[in-house]
Amino acid sequence: MAPVARLIGIRNCFGKECVHEDLDLELPPGRIISLVGGSGSGKTVLLRTLSMLRHPDAGQLELFGENALEVGERAQRDLRRRIGLLFQGGALFTALTVLENVMLPLREHTSIRGRWLEELAMSKVLLAGLPADSAVKYPAELSGGMVKRAALARALALDPRLLILDEPTSGLDPIAAAGFDDLIRELTDSLGLTVIQATHDLDSIWRGSDAVAFLARKRVLAFAPAADLAQRDEPELIAYFRGSRSAEYAKLEASQPGTNRGST
Amino acid sequence: MNAPPRVALDRGDEDVWHLHLTGEWTLAQSDALSAIDRSLSAGFSGSDESGMTVRVEGELDALDSAGALRLARIVDHLEQAGASVDLGELPQRQRNLIELLKGRLPPPKAPRPPREGVLAKIGRASVAKFTEGNAFLAFIGELVVRGGKLIAFPWRIRWREVVAEIEAAGLRALGIVGLLSFLVGMVMAYQAGATLADFGANILIVNLVAIITLREMGPLLTAIIVAGRTGSSYTAQLGTMRITEEIDALRSIGISPFDILILPKIIALMVVLPLLTVFANLMGLLGGAVVAAYSFDVSFSVYFDRLPEVVDLTTLMLGLIKTPVFAIAIALVGCMQGMRVAGSALAVGRATTVSVVQATFLVIVIDAAFSVLFNLMGY
Repeated sequence: MAPVARLIGIRNCFGKECVHEDLDLELPPGRIISLVGGSGSGKTVLLRTLSMLRHPDAGQLELFGENALEVGERAQRDLRRRIGLLFQGGALFTALTVLENVMLPLREHTSIRGRWLEELAMSKVLLAGLPADSAVKYPAELSGGMVKRAALARALALDPRLLILDEPTSGLDPIAAAGFDDLIRELTDSLGLTVIQATHDLDSIWRGSDAVAFLARKRVLAFAPAADLAQRDEPELIAYFRGSRSAEYAKLEASQPGTNRGST
Repeated sequence: MNAPPRVALDRGDEDVWHLHLTGEWTLAQSDALSAIDRSLSAGFSGSDESGMTVRVEGELDALDSAGALRLARIVDHLEQAGASVDLGELPQRQRNLIELLKGRLPPPKAPRPPREGVLAKIGRASVAKFTEGNAFLAFIGELVVRGGKLIAFPWRIRWREVVAEIEAAGLRALGIVGLLSFLVGMVMAYQAGATLADFGANILIVNLVAIITLREMGPLLTAIIVAGRTGSSYTAQLGTMRITEEIDALRSIGISPFDILILPKIIALMVVLPLLTVFANLMGLLGGAVVAAYSFDVSFSVYFDRLPEVVDLTTLMLGLIKTPVFAIAIALVGCMQGMRVAGSALAVGRATTVSVVQATFLVIVIDAAFSVLFNLMGY
């Protein structure tokens, strides 16, 4: 199947500092891909490029087979509709309730109104794992985990085909984080999503994703399942995947190769 | 492609019904989707579904979560009525999606935020006003206690912050204060001149402009500009720092936000406002002089010769003595509203509005009080 998104020769610079140079990446459909790399390796910048929030200094961005950087404004709007974005801090509109946050993209992009609109938005709120009574709360009244879920509900509002998550499990306790990973997997399988998530969470990397894109040396140094990356011998990969914490996961993976939920 | 979603009910056998689905069950067909509920409930009316098996079949061109939600509702409705629903004919992924949504169907009525009656609103507003007054008093109390200590040990005042605040609130306000005062001086001279010229008393323009500018217009105008410009920025700055938890961070390091943020602002404004007022007075008089010279034949030399005869140092001081009080009111309101911000970006905006309104209100009330006081004292 054709890739959902394709980055070709991307360069992103801030002044004279370049975080990406000649970076290539392809996202195969129906997969959960973890974007991994040290702090400052440009994960967020890459996700912003992918979601068309940042115009790269050089290179091409192909989304759903279209050249996203050169299409007109209308086509760009259409492309954005097909991308759901979860910001690191949630970025919920503080003036609106959770339900209104989810209804906003629906109202903007579809002709649905009234009860049907509320019902549809409500189903996204429940789908994201929030209790029904939280729908009328304002973002300021939510806990950190609930903010992430509400932001996910908004990202899912328009049934995106590509879901971009920036650190979805950061700031969550391990149980909530695992629940979030499971939720993403469930949604990916039933909604036919493609997911790319920037993450530092070892659980998400090893168990919650099908492949890992490893950012280093200003490009995607490696793109493969976590277990395969652990066998490679580039120094950056060794440091990341065979460090004391990651080694535990590698051992576990070697002893019971079925635990990776990757295959669907 | 783009065939609207259709559903047909076939009651072929005794105990197995067939629900035949076709078309595109997606968000793009939302109008047709919302119509389906009605047509279907009409189809089921008058029949007893309990014990029935309903087999869902057919080929869907597309199914997204909007369409699946509709199907999930139908399935749920049938199961509630006692029928068993067989989704086995649908592709695995579509079945998963329907099952997923069926497990989490929204309640038929979306939850509403609780609404309050008129009485509750009045009560809430009264309590809010009361706590506001209370908070203001508490704030003044803290200022006196903290500020009193610093008067005893003035070397503990954060002079670097004070100087920075003086620059921001004073130096950078010179342009706007000067220009507006000049214009108001001109306007007053026009109004005074138009009337006085009828009596041939053009020279009295000097009396009018000078007295009004020095005693009222200069101090009041400056205070109002500063309330809108600096008071609001205090609220916005402190409010944003509250939301980003910078204030708490200061506390955790062991620095009192009162010492490092609020007190320097109050001291700076108390220094700056009298100085700005002197400057505003000057520009106001100048504006009056320009109009007097060009429209009413009162030359610059006559204007400035007459000036010391109609006003003296007392007039100037009567205007200036009010300004430190204005300064305290503006800084206090600005800082207090900022420190009371909680929650979201929206709250910062709201607090800033309240801060400007309250500061302007207080400035005018204080000015009126001074006028009454001076009148009683015979000035």
